[in-house]
Amino acid sequence: MPFGAEIGGRDAVRLDDIDRALLQAIVERALRCGGDFAEVYVEERDALGLSLEDGKVERASGGRDFGAAVRVTSGDRTFHAYADDVTEGDLRQAADTVAAALRGGGAVGKVTALGAVREDPGLHPVAVPPESVAIVAKGALLHAADEAARAAGGEVQQVMGAYADGRVRVLIANSEGTFVRDDRTRTRFIISVVARRGDVIQTGYESLGKSRGFEILGEEEVSRLARAAAGKALAMLDACPAPAGMMPVVMANGFGGTLFHEACGHGLEADAVVKGASIYAGRLGEVVAAPIVSAFDDGSIPGEWGSAAFDDEGTPCRKTMVIEGGRLRAYLYDTLRARKDGVASTGNGRRQSYRHVPIPRMTTTYIGPGDAIADEIIAATKHGFYAKSLAGGQVEPASGSFVFGVAEGYLIEHGRVTAPLRGATLVGNGIEVLESIDMVAADLEVKSGLCGKDGQSVPVGTGQPTLRIARMTVGGTG
Amino acid sequence: MLAELDGLLERAAARGATGAEAYAEQGTTTRVKVFEQEVEQLTQARRKGVGLRVLRDGSTGYAFSTDLAPAALDAVADRALANAAVTDPDEHSVLPEAQSPPALDVFDPRLATSGEDDKIELALSVERAALDEDPRVKLVEDTVYADGDIEVFIASSTGVRGSFRENHCYVFAYVLAEEDERVETGLSFSVGRSLAALEPRSCGAEAAQRACRLLGATKCRSMKATVVLDPFVAASFVSVLSSALTAEAVQKGRSLFAPLLGEVVAGAGVELADDGLHPDGLASAPFDAEGVPCRRTEVIAAGALASFLHNTYTAHKAGCASTGNATRASYHGSPGVGPTNLVVAGAATPLADIVGGIERGVLVTNAVGVHSGANPISGQFSVGINGVLIESGRLAAPVREVTLAGDIVAMLQGIVALGDDARWIPQGSVLTPSIVIEGMSIAGT
Repeated sequence: MPFGAEIGGRDAVRLDDIDRALLQAIVERALRCGGDFAEVYVEERDALGLSLEDGKVERASGGRDFGAAVRVTSGDRTFHAYADDVTEGDLRQAADTVAAALRGGGAVGKVTALGAVREDPGLHPVAVPPESVAIVAKGALLHAADEAARAAGGEVQQVMGAYADGRVRVLIANSEGTFVRDDRTRTRFIISVVARRGDVIQTGYESLGKSRGFEILGEEEVSRLARAAAGKALAMLDACPAPAGMMPVVMANGFGGTLFHEACGHGLEADAVVKGASIYAGRLGEVVAAPIVSAFDDGSIPGEWGSAAFDDEGTPCRKTMVIEGGRLRAYLYDTLRARKDGVASTGNGRRQSYRHVPIPRMTTTYIGPGDAIADEIIAATKHGFYAKSLAGGQVEPASGSFVFGVAEGYLIEHGRVTAPLRGATLVGNGIEVLESIDMVAADLEVKSGLCGKDGQSVPVGTGQPTLRIARMTVGGTG
Repeated sequence: MLAELDGLLERAAARGATGAEAYAEQGTTTRVKVFEQEVEQLTQARRKGVGLRVLRDGSTGYAFSTDLAPAALDAVADRALANAAVTDPDEHSVLPEAQSPPALDVFDPRLATSGEDDKIELALSVERAALDEDPRVKLVEDTVYADGDIEVFIASSTGVRGSFRENHCYVFAYVLAEEDERVETGLSFSVGRSLAALEPRSCGAEAAQRACRLLGATKCRSMKATVVLDPFVAASFVSVLSSALTAEAVQKGRSLFAPLLGEVVAGAGVELADDGLHPDGLASAPFDAEGVPCRRTEVIAAGALASFLHNTYTAHKAGCASTGNATRASYHGSPGVGPTNLVVAGAATPLADIVGGIERGVLVTNAVGVHSGANPISGQFSVGINGVLIESGRLAAPVREVTLAGDIVAMLQGIVALGDDARWIPQGSVLTPSIVIEGMSIAGT
């Protein structure tokens, strides 16, 4: 990482003041009343957010959070203490808090001496550090997007834009000798457009987020996003109420990946699995999807929004094949659940910040490309629903039942995409839907988003190629 | 802490700010998660943070920090003013004048002296109650006890200066029940400001009942029917609705309620109030995120839309007074506008009489996707629901994976009755009974 990126006034001495000897001492202190594992996690997070509405940059907010957490585990139990704005004394106190909470009274836990610090080998380079860019240049992007969206049509009534960048530096040290330093920069742009004709109001949304710097954005790029968002809102002005019932559903590439994320991915996260709270528990090797479906979680894709060199426990991020030819191959593990199942962490131990404990989370999750062509999938569908982009969705991991809003949907008639449809939802069950996939195209696309679970929000990527679900419930009002 | 805030105001003025508001919070939180009668996770935290809003030439900037050392406060002031350079000037960006807040007690000293062991035992007893309630309970996936004890401080260049201490605690259970290899889920919670106020046994038992009553659920036929939204489901609809009832949404042209002030928007003479001073409301406080006294605002009175919710900015723009609805999630953000506690009220009918009078309908006990499937701008919604069919005045078979769809205003106008079972739902802090609505579209098979 280009540390030369640091600019004047960046007061970063305190994270750098924490050395190996201090971390080692805190890890030992946390385990002095017993326990299997101890960890110190120190984080310094700089963030900036700008937002635009009514053609004005209305909010500009930024700042720094600095804090640390100490965690001890004993069997299935986790004890976690954290403090904002830590001093050496706070770290010792946090270690004492978790040691006391353990009530072990047992032998001192085993500690492996910390090795040499490991850092990002340069997998996610940042060409233009956002902190090196003047804030007015960031504001100018919002104005450019606003103009592009409004130029898309007179029925565009409102444009909301948001720019965010952040740099998170972490230090992770644990009783197994892991000592990791990571430096993560992320940049994101979001645009949301409201179009109106008489009483009909429709919205369109686009976003771009990467684990990269300001180089990913420019006037041309944000204008393209703005036109795409406006196009969705304008197209939906002509929409009729969606029909309700069972029908074939073609899901377009990109945003459709949230369906896999919600309907299947959460059930593969090992916390739900080890509790028996997932429909995928105990089913490794079994058929859980159609034979043409393979799926992956990959936190190592260079520069992706959901990527990092290491997860938040210091395990290198990697690519995991979770479904191979329709068969369940792997779950997504953090260290705690991996230890319980006697396997290695898959690098999926993630936390929103030091204020949260790491839990198994997806990184970038996607259905792998097939060999069909998107247009041929539509042409092969006599009557059905074309979901071009999805809004949010929710799922119950225990049953696999899910519901998604469709942001942009169309009717398919005689193999052609025809009328836009509004107010549709897709309702179903993860395994049933994956087993019903009968066509997969080659046009894999990944989108950025934020995923919430257990009160923790983390950056994730979701993706899929265009695919067809032979039968699915569409909920609509028509 | 007020000394640090004064220091921030001085730094802002020295850097050319024409107005400034400093805000801080500090406190402690505890969270206990138990599983199979063992502590699964215990988190203890000390939190603090400060935020500074500055005005210069009509523009606003905001910055925050967890570090309160003098050098860090300098950086906060520098950053807030740098941020003000990018925002567009707005004549309505003003700070409120100082007003005396009402006396309101939102702190129970008993919680501050409660021990960790008692908190763990509460969580354990919730899980036991759930497991004991019904043999079909497979497991309690999440059983949580959590509390917070937070002190809030505010000071501004317009003379606002105040603080209050607030505490709260809750237990929560999320139950999985299983029969014939089908799993259903149920949740419940109990909230208060002291351990004594919590009802762990009824929380666990109710979560179990809510899961078990759905066992054996199947899809039903598509139909137009009367639905009874239980308080859990009613609260999630009310909380989505509330984002369209803020003056910000109205002024920005993204509220379906904008043209409806004074019109009848809800049936059965329903009342909806935002009550920032309700003694039992978890969102109650003496003053809002800008230091403006909290109060009660009638939003829907006798079925008619009576008022929108304002902070100082939206009120200045509309030429009225703030309703004390400035909100902020934490010191990380400048004040927005949103509800405090929302209270749904009206003539109550015993729930048994309501069900007895329905020829064909659904008692909805769970709605999935309300926040993603309901669009507060267009008013359209389509959500997945689980519940129990009502046939000839009786509760019949459970249903699942069907959707409820329509238009929010048409749904409100379709309200025909309210139940007698009003209760607080902590998500969104809503006090509501069951809500009965006629003529809803249900999509099944």
